[in-house]
Amino acid sequence: MKDSLKISTLGLVVLALLFVVGCAKQPTEDMEKANAAVSAAAAGGAEKYAPAEAKALKDSLTAALDEVKAEDAKYFKNFDKAKGMLTKASADAEALKGTIAKKKEEAKQKATATQGEAKAALEDAKKLLAKAPKGKGTQADIEAMKADVKGLEDGLAEVQKLFDAEDYLQAASKATAIKDKAAGVSEQIKGAMAKTGKK
Amino acid sequence: MVFRREVFLGLLLFSIAGCSATPLPPEVKLAEVQEQSLWGAGATVYAPTEYDSYKTGLRKAKELLLKEEARLKWFRQYWPAQDEYKKVLAKGERVLKLVEERKAEKSSSVRARLQLYANRVETSGRLSSLINEGRLARRSLTRAEILIREARALYAEGKYTEAEARLAEVPEYLSAAEEAVSPILSRFVDKNHIVMWQRWVEETVANSKTTGAYAIVVSKVDRSLILYRAGKPIMTYNVGLGRNGSLDKLHAGDGATPEGKYYITKKLPRSRYYKALLINYPNEGDRSRFAQAKQKGLIPRRVGIGGLVEIHGGGKDGMTYGCVALENMQMEELYSSVGVGTPVTIVGAIDHKSGIAKALGGS
Repeated sequence: MKDSLKISTLGLVVLALLFVVGCAKQPTEDMEKANAAVSAAAAGGAEKYAPAEAKALKDSLTAALDEVKAEDAKYFKNFDKAKGMLTKASADAEALKGTIAKKKEEAKQKATATQGEAKAALEDAKKLLAKAPKGKGTQADIEAMKADVKGLEDGLAEVQKLFDAEDYLQAASKATAIKDKAAGVSEQIKGAMAKTGKK
Repeated sequence: MVFRREVFLGLLLFSIAGCSATPLPPEVKLAEVQEQSLWGAGATVYAPTEYDSYKTGLRKAKELLLKEEARLKWFRQYWPAQDEYKKVLAKGERVLKLVEERKAEKSSSVRARLQLYANRVETSGRLSSLINEGRLARRSLTRAEILIREARALYAEGKYTEAEARLAEVPEYLSAAEEAVSPILSRFVDKNHIVMWQRWVEETVANSKTTGAYAIVVSKVDRSLILYRAGKPIMTYNVGLGRNGSLDKLHAGDGATPEGKYYITKKLPRSRYYKALLINYPNEGDRSRFAQAKQKGLIPRRVGIGGLVEIHGGGKDGMTYGCVALENMQMEELYSSVGVGTPVTIVGAIDHKSGIAKALGGS
């Protein structure tokens, strides 16, 4: 009688445990929160400014959702690990937003600096052109170089458009190309001026 | 006592079952690593369809794995998932190979286009300089050059598709540059023009041979002035031409250098440009062309035919208003050699193998 009571008690405890654990629910709130956080991070330019980090974040979210799925299919459900993974994905997404903002700002600073350098190089070329001999002499070369300068001005206008569109990476790449070309034009002008002895 | 024995037996059974649970197949970890490698290699860019298909396969394998993991440890059978993972790994190998192949192809194609466009920029720039028309082409050429520089930097970083995107914009600017100078260039490779110019030169040289006198031939495309005596070339000088020197002069202020058979009408020992030899522009042919153009309304009513076309000093690197310019020292030589009446024949090109024809790839 005593033994059968013990067995019945044990059975009840096991059944209660099975009931409690088996009926654990998916952490939907955590899932939604993590999904939203990852989507928000990706929408903030993650692919452009932090692609590797964005990929790692998406992978960690997928792993967390897989963990939910795996637990959900079990009879003895325990979503603690999945919850931890989802919380980490949400936190990583927030951190990534900060990383992207930082990288974007860095790209903006770089684009601003390069744009400034390109403008300065172009101004140098224009000043040299203004000093170049007028009329005859090296006029053919000078007129051609004026056309070069116009092309560079067109390019700088494009840099500004890219800047306004917050495409700082391309803006910097174009500005660098303009800066180098402008320096080349200045060298050509100096060469043309040297031929006429004008300083 | 009995209760303790049951607990002990339960724990023993659990422990044995736990120990004998099947471990995860090694392919699972390998596939994770492979997927990262594929992404890093640029599968999303170079083989997006194949990569998507690979990811679908990977997902399928993962689902099988999850299904097995949902079972109690001692009932798990990983072989169906393992088989799927093996298939995924094999597919991943193929996708990776494809990515590498396509990447190499892209690299090669971008490199070739970079070279091709750089050559076209260089050729157009050279041609426009040859005809003194840099101002027409260089604005567009500069735009093209900026893009090429950008593409070159991206190529060096291995960003082939971004480099390709920049290069896609280049033809627009190259075409604009080429269209600006091609009407002028075409005269220098046109057979009819060249035959006419050759005839003028032959007549001039033959006349010099017959009379034993000096004659001057100016070839625009070669930017050269050849001094003949008794039909033989004795000196060649480099010259500069008009602002629109490659065009045939039609009216005053067009900046073009006339083409035709002329002669020296006056020697000017003190010119604004050192010394000068005035020629008889406009000649009869020039007047006739001018009248026809006027009649067709191609020239504004108040614009005259122009004149005072000279061979003068002042430097060959110039852009004259239609004259032919030499360095002062060479002008001195020429001035002292020739006299009033010396024939001066100005042509676009003397042969089919001019610099422009060569640059254009003609014969």
